[in-house]
Amino acid sequence: MSGQFYKLQIVGLENPIETATSITLDVPTNLYQTFSFYPGQHIVLKLMIDGKEVRRSYSMNSCPYNDEALQVTVKRVENGLVSNYIGDNFRVGDSIEVMVPQGRFFANIDPHGYKTYFLFAAGSGITPIFSILKSVLYTSPQSTVNLFYGNANQDTIIFYDALADLESKYPDRLNIIHTLSNPKVWTTWTQWKGRKGRINAESVEHFITNHPPLAQNTEYYICGPGAMNNTVRETLINLGVPQDLIHVEQFGALDDESDEEGTIIDNANLTAKLDGKTFRLKIPKGKTILQVLKEENADPPYSCESGVCGTCRTKIVMGDVSMKVCLALDDDEIKSGMILACQARPLTEHIEIEY
Amino acid sequence: MKESRAMPILPVEAYTSQEWFDKEQEIIFGNSWQFAGLVEDIQDPGDYITVQCGYQNLLVVKGRDQRLRAFHNLCRHRGTQLLRAVGKKQKALTCPYHDWTYDLSGQLVSVPQKETEFPNLELDQICLHKASVDIWRGMLWVHPNPDAESIARWFEGVQEHLGPHDPLRLVEYPDSRYEKLIKANWKIVAENFMDVYHLAHLHSNTLNMYDHSKAEYGFIGDHYVFWEPHAKKYGENLDKLMPFKRIAEMTDEYLGAFVPWLFPNFGLSETESSWSTFHAIPLSPQETKVIIRSKLEPMSNWEFTKQQWKSGMSWHGIMGGETKYGKKPDLSSEDPMDWNDFMEEDVYVCEQQQKSLKNPLFNVSRTAKNGESTVRNFQTIVKRWIEN
Ligand SMILES: Cc1cc2nc3c(=O)[nH]c(=O)nc-3n(C[C@H](O)[C@H](O)[C@H](O)COP(=O)(O)OP(=O)(O)OC[C@H]3O[C@@H](n4cnc5c(N)ncnc54)[C@H](O)[C@@H]3O)c2cc1C
Ligand code: FES
Repeated sequence: MSGQFYKLQIVGLENPIETATSITLDVPTNLYQTFSFYPGQHIVLKLMIDGKEVRRSYSMNSCPYNDEALQVTVKRVENGLVSNYIGDNFRVGDSIEVMVPQGRFFANIDPHGYKTYFLFAAGSGITPIFSILKSVLYTSPQSTVNLFYGNANQDTIIFYDALADLESKYPDRLNIIHTLSNPKVWTTWTQWKGRKGRINAESVEHFITNHPPLAQNTEYYICGPGAMNNTVRETLINLGVPQDLIHVEQFGALDDESDEEGTIIDNANLTAKLDGKTFRLKIPKGKTILQVLKEENADPPYSCESGVCGTCRTKIVMGDVSMKVCLALDDDEIKSGMILACQARPLTEHIEIEY
Repeated sequence: MKESRAMPILPVEAYTSQEWFDKEQEIIFGNSWQFAGLVEDIQDPGDYITVQCGYQNLLVVKGRDQRLRAFHNLCRHRGTQLLRAVGKKQKALTCPYHDWTYDLSGQLVSVPQKETEFPNLELDQICLHKASVDIWRGMLWVHPNPDAESIARWFEGVQEHLGPHDPLRLVEYPDSRYEKLIKANWKIVAENFMDVYHLAHLHSNTLNMYDHSKAEYGFIGDHYVFWEPHAKKYGENLDKLMPFKRIAEMTDEYLGAFVPWLFPNFGLSETESSWSTFHAIPLSPQETKVIIRSKLEPMSNWEFTKQQWKSGMSWHGIMGGETKYGKKPDLSSEDPMDWNDFMEEDVYVCEQQQKSLKNPLFNVSRTAKNGESTVRNFQTIVKRWIEN
């Protein structure tokens, strides 16, 4: 069952860069099937921090098609609760609660396929992209991969060495273009010779123009936090790439959060029907509907708490809410009144929802 | 159909009748991947080429996303052919008849006097009929069906039997293009290409750089693969004799020639110093256009001239310079057999065979056990396509 958590033991911890931790988990033989995944998918970790239960999603960066152990890599986010907790507190030998792999962002690779993959990653967004990249190289010998990877500076490029190794091992099948928005002038590796600047419309077009696909059957995978995803997607669409070939995973809120603080109602009234029970609660300013229900031990469904997975979806029957991130619902669903509880903050005095 | 006179598997009519020709165009050429050119033929977004695939004309255009797209070259309005031949940097595809205009992804974007003449037409509902296009080994391939099996499957298993050449790296020399109208059915041309038996005879003095007795060949699905090593004399003096600079990937273990025939109508000749495509385009039951294009290792003019000169100087002394009939090559002769050019020797015999097909006594009843098994196999494959 997909909503279920399993205890998995941490068997390895590494720092591919100073601000990120790679966590290797031991999947016991009897759970192999349960924890099988497609490259690109993620797991959900459940942690207790300061007595409160929190969940976060992390994408596998390991390849599911060889003997690599299951691994995720967590990059510290400034003031981030979970990412810093993990960086500071995880120890080899600890057991953590893990929900089975899931997610609609994945590559289903045909070993006999003849495809050109275009991958775009920024920062921690490299994790699922790295898994897809390795999976294509290892399992689909006629396919090729082009990766455009953006970071702040030389010190924040996760998997730099591993990528360079693969590039020299598969010179005909893998092209990697790094770009740094803010390269350091003095570093251990002399001078930065790669591209400078962000992943933006201009650099994406340049990348595409300089990497004409061999196999004309192409697919595009984009992953990163913030606004980069939209930029890449829109640029590709403008260039004429059909939408159904573009796959996007959003890791977190957009950089330019248009905070609607002003319009959010303080202490709005919430009526929630869940599992045959009715809860009548107040929503203090700053909290989401999900947080309020969790604190009430109402046991609401959720997993990513990021507006991505859709587990927390519910129907609003009265009132209106604002959602910072709403990647798990399409326009029709929003029109029909579906909301994501993990993102929803009240815009009206009275909110009524029904699970 | 009279089956009395055979070739030996296919009836003689398969090489002479319009009815057979039409069937082949529809069943074989309308349902297979067809060679459409080299990758370099379409460089930039908006560049296009047109290709005949059986009775269907296709156009291939590059989008701004660098992907190639293939469409049937016919306007969705009155069916007029949209584009001719080849072209550069189109922003859109406009039909010459009424100026209906499509974008590079085939989508109809404008119709003159739309408000008055086509008030109910929804542009975004109309797209050019799609076809398939892909790149394989540096070559463009098209298929009239948008859901065609992938090019990788079509050629599955063939790659391993081809040369190590990387055509993308090699350079086409403009003068090397050869075009010839052969007065023979396309299958006669194909069979001649695959006939191993004739190599040591017809070409005894033109292809003597190879040891035909050591040829290895066979079929992978419907495709024919062939390799033969150099003759001892040629191999030992390779550096002096080869006409062009050696191709880097052709390391010693590969030396020889890879000469496959990819079903239905395309051959390759991959040697130590050149890489050539051989496209046999059926024009009518008794006419075939052959286009040969060659790529070489990149080299300077000086290197080119030097190697040609070295090869020319050494050839006579080492390999002998006489024609099959012991004459001195004579390019001014009326008889192609005097030219000492294996291509012309082949054209000659193909046309001679086609001429004989009308003779009531013509019949192929005996073919060589090994050297002509390839011809029988090819005919069996064509027969299977037509009959299924
Ligand atoms: C499907 C999915 C897969 C993910 N995979 C990975 C992964 O493989 N590796 C990984 O490190 N993270 C991944 N994330 C992000 C991860 O789930 C957390 O959001 C992240 O670790 C921050 O959590 P936190 O508790 O530390 O920050 P919080 O305390 O939740 O947030 C603190 C602040 O940081 C902002 N923020 C949240 N996430 C990010 C981010 N990624 N980048 C920049 N700012 C952010 C928030 O908007 C907030 O303002 C993934 C997210 C999703 C939805
Ligand atoms: S918990 Fe995943 S979208 Fe809300």
